[in-house]
Formats: sequence, C-alpha cells, structure tokens
Amino acid sequence: MATICKVSEEKALEIKKFQFTYASADEPSLKEISMPIAKNSVTALIGPSGCGKSTLLRSINRMHDLYPGNKYEGEIIYNGRNILNPKEDLIDLRINIGMIFQKPTAFPMSIMDNVAYGLKLQGIKNKTEIKDRVEKALTDAAIWKEVKDRLKHDANGLSGGQQQRLCIARAIAVEPEILLFDEPTSALDPISTQGIEELVTELKEKVSIVIVTHNMQQAARVSDYTGFMYLGELIELGKTEELFVTPAEKLTEEYITGKFG
Amino acid sequence: MTATQKRVLINRIVMGLSTLSAAIGLFFLFWILYILVSNGVEAINWDIFMFEGAPPGYEESGLKQALVGQLIIVGIATLVGVPLGILAGTYLSEYGQKSKLAETIRDISDIMMSAPSIVVGSFVYAIMVVPMGHFSAWAGIVALTIIMLPIILRTTDDMLHLVPTTLREAAFALGAPKYKVITQVVYRGAKAGILTGILLGVARVAGETAPLLFTSFNDNFMSTDLMEPMASLTVTMYNYATSPYEDWQRLGWAAAFILSMFILGLNIIGRLVLLTKKGK
Repeated sequence: MATICKVSEEKALEIKKFQFTYASADEPSLKEISMPIAKNSVTALIGPSGCGKSTLLRSINRMHDLYPGNKYEGEIIYNGRNILNPKEDLIDLRINIGMIFQKPTAFPMSIMDNVAYGLKLQGIKNKTEIKDRVEKALTDAAIWKEVKDRLKHDANGLSGGQQQRLCIARAIAVEPEILLFDEPTSALDPISTQGIEELVTELKEKVSIVIVTHNMQQAARVSDYTGFMYLGELIELGKTEELFVTPAEKLTEEYITGKFG
Repeated sequence: MTATQKRVLINRIVMGLSTLSAAIGLFFLFWILYILVSNGVEAINWDIFMFEGAPPGYEESGLKQALVGQLIIVGIATLVGVPLGILAGTYLSEYGQKSKLAETIRDISDIMMSAPSIVVGSFVYAIMVVPMGHFSAWAGIVALTIIMLPIILRTTDDMLHLVPTTLREAAFALGAPKYKVITQVVYRGAKAGILTGILLGVARVAGETAPLLFTSFNDNFMSTDLMEPMASLTVTMYNYATSPYEDWQRLGWAAAFILSMFILGLNIIGRLVLLTKKGK
C-alpha cells in the first residue's frame, strides 16, 4: 500500500479510490488513487513517463470528458461534492479549477482579449471592470510591464515564456480556487522556467496548486507536497522535504536516486 | 569518370529535365494569357458594360446581361454555399470527427469534387428544369452550389483540423461551452485557411459553363427574374465564340478576358490572405 502523509492545512480536494480508464483501454490507467490536495499549497506530481500523472491532473477538471468513452470511478471531493458526478456542471467546475498546459496556448487574438476571454465568458460586460481585472491578472502573472504598451497586439507575437505567463494571467483572471499545471515549463528555456517557478510559489497565497512535472528538481524547488506515481498508482505522498530526503517507499527512493525513470 | 563527376552529371541532368518541364508548363500558361489579353483588351470598351446582347451587325451590343447574370448566379450560389459548406465542415471536424457518418461524408465530398460538372448540370436539369418546364436562374444557382459545397466543406474540415487540440482544451479549461470554443477560438485560428477555401470555391464555380448550359441557359437581354433563364459570362462566351459573326466573337473574347481577370483576382486575394497570415 501507498504511504500517504497527513496534510496539516485545510484540504482543497480529496481524491478517494479514484480509478480512470481510457476509452480505448481495457485496464484502468489509474488504480485506486487516494490523496488529499492541501489548500494554498503546491502539490507536485512526479514519476516516469506514462505513470499517469497528467491523466490524474486532467481528471480534476474533467478534461477527459472532451473525448467520448473515458470512464471515471471513485470520488474526487471538492467543496463537499463529488465532481465526478455525471450531473456536475463542467463549465462551473472549470471556472473554479483552471489549467495551464505544457505548450503555451495563446488564443489567436490580442493580448487584452486573451486575458479578458474568461471574464467575458462569465458575462462580465463592464469595460472598466474587465480592464482593471486584466491589468491585475497580468500584474500577478508578472508580465504587465512587458505588455502594457501593446495590449492590442496579437498574443502570438510574444515569446514562449511570455505566452505561458499570459496563459497563467488568463487563468487567474477568473479567480479560480485551484490551478492545475501540466508540465508548464517543459517547452521553455531556463530563464523563463525560473520565472514560472517563482510565479507558482507566489500564486499559492491565493490558490491551491497541483503541478505535474518530469523534473524532480522543479518539484523540490516549488512544492510543499510531492506525490510519486508509478504505473498508474500513487506510491507515496509526502511533505516535499521529507519525500526527497527520507522517502518511505523503496520505489520512491530508487526513482529519486536515479535508479530508474 | 569518378564517382563525384558522375554524381555531378546526374544532378545536372535531373535539374535540367525538371527545369525544362517547368518551363514547358509556364510557356503554355503565358501563351494562353497572351492570346487572351491581346484579344480581350482589344475587344473591351465601355459599350460592353452599357449594352445588352444584340443581333450580329448592331453597333450597340454588349455583355451587360451576362455580367449582371453572372454576378447574380455566382453571388447567390456563394451566399447559399458558403454557410452550408462551413457549417458542414465544422460538423466533420468538431462533432463528427472520426465517426462513420463523418468519414462517409468526407469520402463522398472527395468524389463530388472530382465529379464532372456536366453531370451535376444534368442532375439539376432532371430535378428542377424538367418539373418546372423551363430553364431558370435558380436551377443554375443550385447546380453551382452543389459544385461549390464539397470544396468549401473539405477545406473547412482540413483547416479546422490544423488548429491544435490544446487550443481547444485551453478554451474548455476556462469554462467555455463548445459552441463558443468553435466560434470564438477555433474559427479565428483557421480564419485565413477557411477564407482561402471560400475564394477557391467561388473561383471554381465562376468558371463553370457545363452545369449552366441546361439549367440557367442563356438570355440575350437583361433579366433579374430568378424564375426565368438568365445569361452568364461563361454560356454567353460559349455561344458567341462558336458563332460565325466577327463582332460576336469579339464579345466572346471580352467575356473570356473579364472572367479570367475575375478568377485571377480571386486567386491572388487568396494568396495574399495566406501570406499576410504567415507574415504575422
């Protein structure tokens, strides 16, 4: 059985005996995963390619529902309800649980319109309010200074790192409670990576963060809790400083010392 | 001969042959353009735009009825065909995806694109002209719409496919409903491609003669009644060019020239749209 540490903070999410099966597969890709996600903390998911860390992350905002035939079992409790319920309002869920992708996903529109997109979706029409919230989101995403003079320019003219920070601004503009990061720096250079990591650490004041990364150093740098996954199972969840120094499970130790991966 | 010399020689032969082939193609293209322009420019004057068709030998004869008819027939076919084609392409790419129905529609569209246009003409003749008892502009419009539809449908499908899945997911992740993801994000990403498809589709049907010959037929005088036969540049050109009268033949050249410039214009606009998109 997996070793799961106690979480001292309030819980943003509670995953209970969660199983996930892709439409094309016979066997579940995620097996009986149970773990808490601490509020206003960063929880990192690490593990070798194909271990299911992205699959788990994409279950939390029900991204798998975009493709027919995928199957969830078990529970993910958020604000007292099981979000795997088929009746769950996915639009509402995704407003509260935002996501940042591996590659920057700037929409083919201006920088302003990109950040305002989520706000407009929520029916906010007041131009002053939109402008203020866009500025605040861009400031919080540490990109305001670079783009404030070209808000009307096409967002695809920005560099990769800038686009990724724009995507973070777009996600935090709607003030979600949870942010999911799916390997957000794997397409970026080291300096942009550092910027995003600093941003993640600052953002946890306001939101709870789950970050998938294949980079163990990154997990060690940014996270409060780390979960190690292997072959669709959660092997260990621990406080980051403890998991990397004194892992409870042998598999975890072998992975973090580079014996496989 | 050393290996290097041999390689250089073969390289030259291949390069020579391919350059020659390209030159032959260009030669004929420019020959066609030369004949068209030299005969066309000479035949063009203001009268062509001012007067309707007239018996041979009349001073005051022109192509007004054909120009107006062409604009009406192609215009309405575009108004009907473009939304239908874009919506059907949207269905294929965003809703049907790899389903049996979507794949069948794709296959049929591909066949339709290479179907001889005269077959479409005879089909519309059978379902519209025969029951109505006479030729009509509507029949011509329907025939052109049928030809245009698969072109726009398939380009829309292909262009929407090129929009990265992650872009759609990012919009969904912000809580966007599907129709907004499609209309606000996916369409924007594929804008230039879809526009090019529309221009190519319009250019293709604008040059069609066969499907109009026995649908909208022809009219030597101005008519804007869609229930009646209507002149078009292509059919008029066909009639005039095959007539024995020199002044009619000149009008045929003028029609050919105007039509070619129109289609050339559409193609150039299409290229420019793609270029400015890439330049960004």
